[in-house]
Amino acid sequence: MSSDDRMAVLQGTLDLIVLRTLENLGRQHAYAIATRLQQVSGDLLHLNQGTLYPALVRLEQQGRIKGTWGKTESNREAKFYSITKAGGKALAAETLRWRRMSGLVDKLLSEGA
Amino acid sequence: MRRFFLRLVNLFRGSQAERELAREIEAHLALLQEDFERGGMPPEEARLAAKRAYGGVEQTKEVHRDARSFVWIEQFFKDVRYGWVNLRRNPGFTLTAVIALALGIGVNATIFGIYNAVALKPLPIADPDNVVRIERWFASNSRGNNQYEFAYAEYQYLRDHSTALSGVMATRPQVQVLASMGEAETPEHLSGYAVSANYFSDLGVKPRLGRTFLSDEDRALGANPVVVLSHNFWERKFQGDSKSIGQSIKLNGLAYTIVGVAPQEFTGTDVFPLETDFWAPFSMIDQLDPTFGPASNPAWREQWRDSSSHPGIQLLARIKTGIPRAQAQAETDLLMRQRLSGYRESDRTTAVTLQKTAYFFYADDIRFHAAAAAVLMIVSLVLLVACANVANMLLARGVARQREIGVRMALGASRGRIIRQLLAESVLLSLLGGAAGVLLSAWAERFLWVSLSGVFQGLHFNLVEPDLNPDVHVFLYGLGLCLFTGLLFGLAPALQCTRVDLNAAIKEEGWTFGVRLGRSRLRGLLLGTQVTVSVLLLVFCIALTSSFVSSRAADPGFETRDTFLLMTGPSPKELQLRERLETLPELSGAAIGSLPLNGTSTAPMAAGKLNLRTEATLASDGYFETLGIRLLRGRGFTRQEADLKAPVAVISESTARHVWPGENPLGKHISLDLKFQNKFTDFEIVGVTSDARFADITEIDALHVYLPSAEIPKSGGLVVRVRADRGTALAAVRSVVQSVDPSLLPGLDMVSLEGFVAVQRGYFRVETAFAGALSLLALTLAGVGIYGVTAFLVSQRTREIGIRVALGATSRRVVRSVLIEGSRPVLIGMAIGFATAAGLNVVESASDPFPDPVVRSVFGDPSIYGGLTLMLAIAVIASIVPASRALRVDPMVALRYE
Repeated sequence: MSSDDRMAVLQGTLDLIVLRTLENLGRQHAYAIATRLQQVSGDLLHLNQGTLYPALVRLEQQGRIKGTWGKTESNREAKFYSITKAGGKALAAETLRWRRMSGLVDKLLSEGA
Repeated sequence: MRRFFLRLVNLFRGSQAERELAREIEAHLALLQEDFERGGMPPEEARLAAKRAYGGVEQTKEVHRDARSFVWIEQFFKDVRYGWVNLRRNPGFTLTAVIALALGIGVNATIFGIYNAVALKPLPIADPDNVVRIERWFASNSRGNNQYEFAYAEYQYLRDHSTALSGVMATRPQVQVLASMGEAETPEHLSGYAVSANYFSDLGVKPRLGRTFLSDEDRALGANPVVVLSHNFWERKFQGDSKSIGQSIKLNGLAYTIVGVAPQEFTGTDVFPLETDFWAPFSMIDQLDPTFGPASNPAWREQWRDSSSHPGIQLLARIKTGIPRAQAQAETDLLMRQRLSGYRESDRTTAVTLQKTAYFFYADDIRFHAAAAAVLMIVSLVLLVACANVANMLLARGVARQREIGVRMALGASRGRIIRQLLAESVLLSLLGGAAGVLLSAWAERFLWVSLSGVFQGLHFNLVEPDLNPDVHVFLYGLGLCLFTGLLFGLAPALQCTRVDLNAAIKEEGWTFGVRLGRSRLRGLLLGTQVTVSVLLLVFCIALTSSFVSSRAADPGFETRDTFLLMTGPSPKELQLRERLETLPELSGAAIGSLPLNGTSTAPMAAGKLNLRTEATLASDGYFETLGIRLLRGRGFTRQEADLKAPVAVISESTARHVWPGENPLGKHISLDLKFQNKFTDFEIVGVTSDARFADITEIDALHVYLPSAEIPKSGGLVVRVRADRGTALAAVRSVVQSVDPSLLPGLDMVSLEGFVAVQRGYFRVETAFAGALSLLALTLAGVGIYGVTAFLVSQRTREIGIRVALGATSRRVVRSVLIEGSRPVLIGMAIGFATAAGLNVVESASDPFPDPVVRSVFGDPSIYGGLTLMLAIAVIASIVPASRALRVDPMVALRYE
């Protein structure tokens, strides 16, 4: 796959993706989130796994997710994140906004065609 | 908001957050690796693959930190800490730089501190921003003390009609009185002010002891003999005794009750701040000042409260809270115009304004600010030299730190980050220098003030010492100066030092020939700037002082030792007094006329075919003999001419030479416009005198006309020549005054012309010392800079010299090339400095109708060439010493050097 086909993550969408993933899968550590992202996007997203961290910090500071230390199935230590009530609300609002936005862009693009 | 708070919190728990992050990343990597292993990779390979998939660990951390907290603040603290460590690691460099900056900032802060104390600091009164001085503006554009003079009737009108002012306060200029405490004591001279009763209460000055004036104590004329003492006088006379309240003190023979003592910090509000001993209600003015009012009008004493002519009352006002100054000013202006609309003023008042109050009355005058700015700019040149110096030192150090910077950049630090770090270091340096400089300036201000005010004591003037303690203005100014200079001298080196080739830097090959070329150009520029500025300062200071130095021993052209000015108030009996004085055996002469070195007026003159401006001063018969000015041709004035104010003139020798070269001026005519009203009056020349330094002790008057005319603004009075000593003469004069006009006694004093000469010389001496100190400072700083940089540059070339010698260059050739390169920036800087100074000199003399030969002689002054030679010598020594050291080194060793 050429690098042109890969998409850089749109500013601000990473937060949305992380929240959605956590809502779907429940409590997860960063690695699982990253893996999940890669699976879903089918390598379409160009994302170093480390890139996830600023989003996690930001969301945690905003009180939308909460991180606690725990053990994985393989008995390794990892920080697990889960979505909070405020996170759920924010996700709903952001999703709505995203839908509207993409709907608008879609409309504009098809009009031109 | 919550996020802001958390980021702020994270500023202080940085290390804990850092540990947690490392732990999390490690866990992440372990999980990744596990996955890869499950896919069948060998552990070692899986570990690497995990790292690849993860991306740059350190970059992640950096981004994480960014999101976690206000990273720039965190970095700033880190930078400062790092900078501090760095500065401590190089104490020699730090000390030199701090001293250079302390001197530069210190001189600057000294001047600003005095400017601040005199013009910016509010008076020690309640809510000083709302207290203003009322100033009037005249149709003739005349400026000076008369702008602050109002009639009592005008004061009353404003007081009674203003709605924007909550209080109008009236004060008289200082009066001299004869005071005595007990019967036995000999009377002493005290000075004080007559003020309106609301003076203290509306200024918001609470007494230190007792009370201030009651609101009706200035109503009935002569009815309330009470005084408030100044703190200084109270301490001096009563040793701070609280029982002094209620005691009485005799002023001009009348007993006054002491009702209160003013607080120590309150020293009055006069436009010219003089030490004062007491304040009394305005209604006592007749008793305090027997010479009050115009001498020609004996009915004045009954009328002054209703008169609209100006007895010189200064007005202050407090603006009601909430009313803008502009509005209060508009109302005051309107009221005054209404008041004046029916009157014929000799010089029409065109506007009345409200001025900010400060220690010095010119504080609101644009010319005063311009003068202060000019002096600040001159002292800033010293700071500029200091900055160039430190910048050069930083550049040199940047070279030594090349490796450190290279390594940091290779590890991922961005260029901006390192520049910020270097700047933090230089600002830290300038703050250290600034702190030392401000401390230095506190001392220097006091020193400068003491020497300046000491000058005036020769004239029996006691200036109030302004509050020189640094306040928030000085602090902010110093801080601003530090930040500005820190960036000024830090930016160029920081930019230069971070422009490195990483590979070369780490391999310690930063010193390739190409790189050095660019850098030494910046160095040369800085060096050249220092030299240019030093030359300019040197020229300026010599110009300022050489006229004084050359005239130090010069004859002023009049007799100073035995000639005295008789200080009396204005008296209607002046002529009578003079007649009696002439008969005294203790005096050898008495005349009426202007006083040298005491301010002169320059009037337009038409003479021959020339239109000029000339000094014009008053002289009676006997004047030239009394002052010891020699008559070269013709005669002086006769008694009749003096009494009748005849249209005759005596001119100085240089005037005669200038207007009628080679001709006899006697019998020729000049016409003068003495009142600046474009009305010329004709005068016949009857005599020519020797030249004198009448206006300025440093130079002979270019044009000077003596007249017996009444139209000359008076700056003098009775001048006497003493045969006996001053004490005996004064006693004799006092007895004459007693019998002719006793009202003159309180202010009577005799000041010798020597005093006036001493004041001018003293002033120039202070100026010379100051200018000398400035140029010495600039020279020292430039010298240190030249030596440091040149020596460093040459020593850096040890390797190149080694190669050259190895290739067969003779040591003479090497030394020559080193010398040429080392002295080039110095020579270029000198040339530019010289050219600029010469250019300024041309402009200056072109705008001056009487080009002063003294200014031109700056370039003939040996000290300037001394300074230049010194700078060049320093450059030569700084080149030769390290060069010869390099030459002595074995080429093989030199090649391995660095």
